[in-house]
Amino acid sequence: MLKLFLWLKYVRRRRIILMSVAAVAMSVSLLIVVASLFTGFIAAFEQSAVNAIGDIIISAPDGLTFEQYPAFIERLEKTDIVEAATATLTSEGLLHLGGGNVRPVSIWGIQPDRRVRVMGFKKALLCQGRAAGDPSFRVADAPDEIGGFVGIGVLGKPDEKTDQYDQDAILKETLGKPVSVTTGKMEPTTDGGQEPKRRTISFRITDVVFTGVYQLDSGQVFLPIEVLQKKLYPTEGGFLATSISIKLKPGVAPDSVVERIRELWGGFAAQELGWGPMAISMTADRIKTAREMQKIYVAEFEKQKDVLEVIFSVISFGVVVLVFCIFYMMVKLKQKDIAIVISCGATSSSVIGLFVGFGVSVGVAGSGLGAALGYVITRHISQIEGWIRVLFGLKLWRSSVYMFSEIPNQIDWSSAAFYAAMAMMGAAVGALVPALVAARTRPVEVLRNE
Amino acid sequence: MYKLTLIARYLLKRRITHFAVLAVTLCVFIVVVVMTVMTGLVGDFKQKNHAFVGDCVVGTDSLVGFPYYEEFMNLVEQTGIAEGVSPVVKSYALLNTERGDSANVEIIGLDPIRHSQATNFGRTLHFRAKEVAKAFEPLYDANVPGCVVGIDQVLQRNAQSQYLQFNKLLRASVTLTCFPLNAKGAPSKAGTSLVSTKRFYYSDNSHTGIPRVDDTYVYVPLEQAQLLCMDGAEKRITAIHIKFRPGVGIEEGRRRIADLWQQYQQTKSSAPNGVLLNTVTVQSWKEYRRAVIAPIEAEQLLLSLMFVLVGITTVFIVSVVFYMIIRSKRNDIGVLKSVGASNTSILSLFQGFAFGIGLIGSCAGALFAWLFLSRINQIEQWCYEHFGWQIWNRSIYVIGDIPHHLEFSVLAVIIFCAILSCLVGALIPSYLAARLRPVEILHAARM
Repeated sequence: MLKLFLWLKYVRRRRIILMSVAAVAMSVSLLIVVASLFTGFIAAFEQSAVNAIGDIIISAPDGLTFEQYPAFIERLEKTDIVEAATATLTSEGLLHLGGGNVRPVSIWGIQPDRRVRVMGFKKALLCQGRAAGDPSFRVADAPDEIGGFVGIGVLGKPDEKTDQYDQDAILKETLGKPVSVTTGKMEPTTDGGQEPKRRTISFRITDVVFTGVYQLDSGQVFLPIEVLQKKLYPTEGGFLATSISIKLKPGVAPDSVVERIRELWGGFAAQELGWGPMAISMTADRIKTAREMQKIYVAEFEKQKDVLEVIFSVISFGVVVLVFCIFYMMVKLKQKDIAIVISCGATSSSVIGLFVGFGVSVGVAGSGLGAALGYVITRHISQIEGWIRVLFGLKLWRSSVYMFSEIPNQIDWSSAAFYAAMAMMGAAVGALVPALVAARTRPVEVLRNE
Repeated sequence: MYKLTLIARYLLKRRITHFAVLAVTLCVFIVVVVMTVMTGLVGDFKQKNHAFVGDCVVGTDSLVGFPYYEEFMNLVEQTGIAEGVSPVVKSYALLNTERGDSANVEIIGLDPIRHSQATNFGRTLHFRAKEVAKAFEPLYDANVPGCVVGIDQVLQRNAQSQYLQFNKLLRASVTLTCFPLNAKGAPSKAGTSLVSTKRFYYSDNSHTGIPRVDDTYVYVPLEQAQLLCMDGAEKRITAIHIKFRPGVGIEEGRRRIADLWQQYQQTKSSAPNGVLLNTVTVQSWKEYRRAVIAPIEAEQLLLSLMFVLVGITTVFIVSVVFYMIIRSKRNDIGVLKSVGASNTSILSLFQGFAFGIGLIGSCAGALFAWLFLSRINQIEQWCYEHFGWQIWNRSIYVIGDIPHHLEFSVLAVIIFCAILSCLVGALIPSYLAARLRPVEILHAARM
């Protein structure tokens, strides 16, 4: 009770204490914001891969394609681990939008109805994403024509100031527009060599894709898989794909079933496709989880986060020095209080407890405030970035630089808890030496001067 | 003199001041290290972009390009301000390799000699660095059409960010497919196949140090690029790269070229397809590459703003230390005032003390930072050898050595800010000290 009374008195009389609370709060909030932004970015990066390719992807080795993929997908979906799977045929090409506007693109031949079940593709479609039913490439007024989806960044640029796409204007201008995409592949010649054969596919834009991932939005064209196959492999019948994306059933961890998928693929390739052990082994190495494909970059981002956190932690050490200075000053100024407390029978340890406890209280208050401030800043980071843009004309976040349209705004609670705990410990450490000095006060000497 | 004596006494005797010095040292150390590395990286990136582009670019974003460029280049050369003038065609192409791989690339059509005079193109080559004129002549067969490929498309970097170059040029070919556009922007050969395709043989690789350039650019002879990408009566290009003579400022040179272009454009307004000249702009290298430079500069600014928060903590610490010193040195102040020291003298005494703390702290911080930076690459190398840890994975980031050269201007700004923080932190306590009344202080002391 005496301790509480003295703490309250010091806070009321010595406003400088509030300065140490403010310094702790500032450091904690800064570290929480940095950790949350980085963690959110890494999570968004990992999720973008899952959204683009599913939980697990089987990629064909260079120069090979998967035949009879519907049969393999059926086999996969009969297992107790796979929810759905879909095939993709990819190629690179040039999209001619008219008026001298040529853009380099990746052409993805897809199965739109299956794709929505594997990776939530529907949400990314600006038109059909809002409509009921599975999306399709069908051209409304001309069912015989080929339809295709084009990434929003291929069709327009985000506003220079706001970094936002004018979605309505882009849809109005491009829906139904006839465009052509040119692709090609090397084919054998009669003299035994190889030469490139180009293929041009004319189609109408039936929807615009906006995933929020700049690299995808600015370089993708989606066409029906059978159309792309017919153009790239005109002499080959059946079904061909360059990759198969798999969505796992809820609760199935991707890492735990990769081996089983490899076994399933090995069995299918040997029995149905007649592939040799070499080709099967090459493909088995290319069966990966989405997260595994990103791991080298994720590791690098994690490292950058750690480096930045270390820098700010070193800076935060200044706060420990500040707490020390304030408590040292307080001990020096309150020697009479301390002498009276000791002369009334208080032990050295209880005096130490008084000041260390007070330091911890400063830490608790500072980290509480800092956590609240960090939460508010992180959750409203987009608005704050908008204000900075309006006030200073400085656009800090661009999807073309940081990949995503949205700034991550989820709190990294584990980091927040860690930094709050460290702040309390730092405040206690800062108060420890002044507390020891206070405990060594000799009441006779102090009170004699009165 | 008494001020210096007192300042020295407080610095040596009052241990609490050592904490203020420690705080300043710590802040200056971390800010100098981080800002030196950041400034080095940004400066290096800008320098690479400057070397890649030249000083000034007269160009258009449209792939259709613009005609009548040769006449304008002559006019530029006659001004005497240009050291190099290079016409360039820039477009997109589909690249197919012999193995069957395909990729989207940007093709640059250029004259190797002219382009090396305007930019650092010649110095980016590996096999033909000393014979730039032969950049598009493969060493294994000078009679086949050659192309220079961005280094990241043919070679891989090791952990030290070095490329493992071949001793001998390998015979390999790529096929480039483009959309040739007429002067109206429509695809030419509309009735035929819409595209142009040509096989080129690998003649060299170009290492600019700019990741996106080395990863996606393929250089071909100017005439070949014009044939592949453009169609029409007048030859067209998409840009003219200019390097100014030494002594010609970039902004001054750009302004003179812009004026020249404006006059030239008017003379060609009625020429066939002269309307295409309206899309052309004259930009300095920095304006031309602003899309890649601006985000890095914004990051640097953001980091600087974060360090302002660090400065605030220093202000707090200094403020507290001074408050304490003044509380305990009231007698000194009382005596000084009673022997005639003015308020201004007391204020300047403590501001001088703050200056001393700031100066000693920042010098110590700068010294430790210099020691750390001078060994930063060895430290990173040691960490890599013993723990496999690098600050930047060189196979992902195009960074060589970590920048470690202390920029005097950066150092001066940091030291100035540190001293200023100390002066600001000490201002209120100094003012309170100056306002103390000697009678009350000495009376209380006597009691």
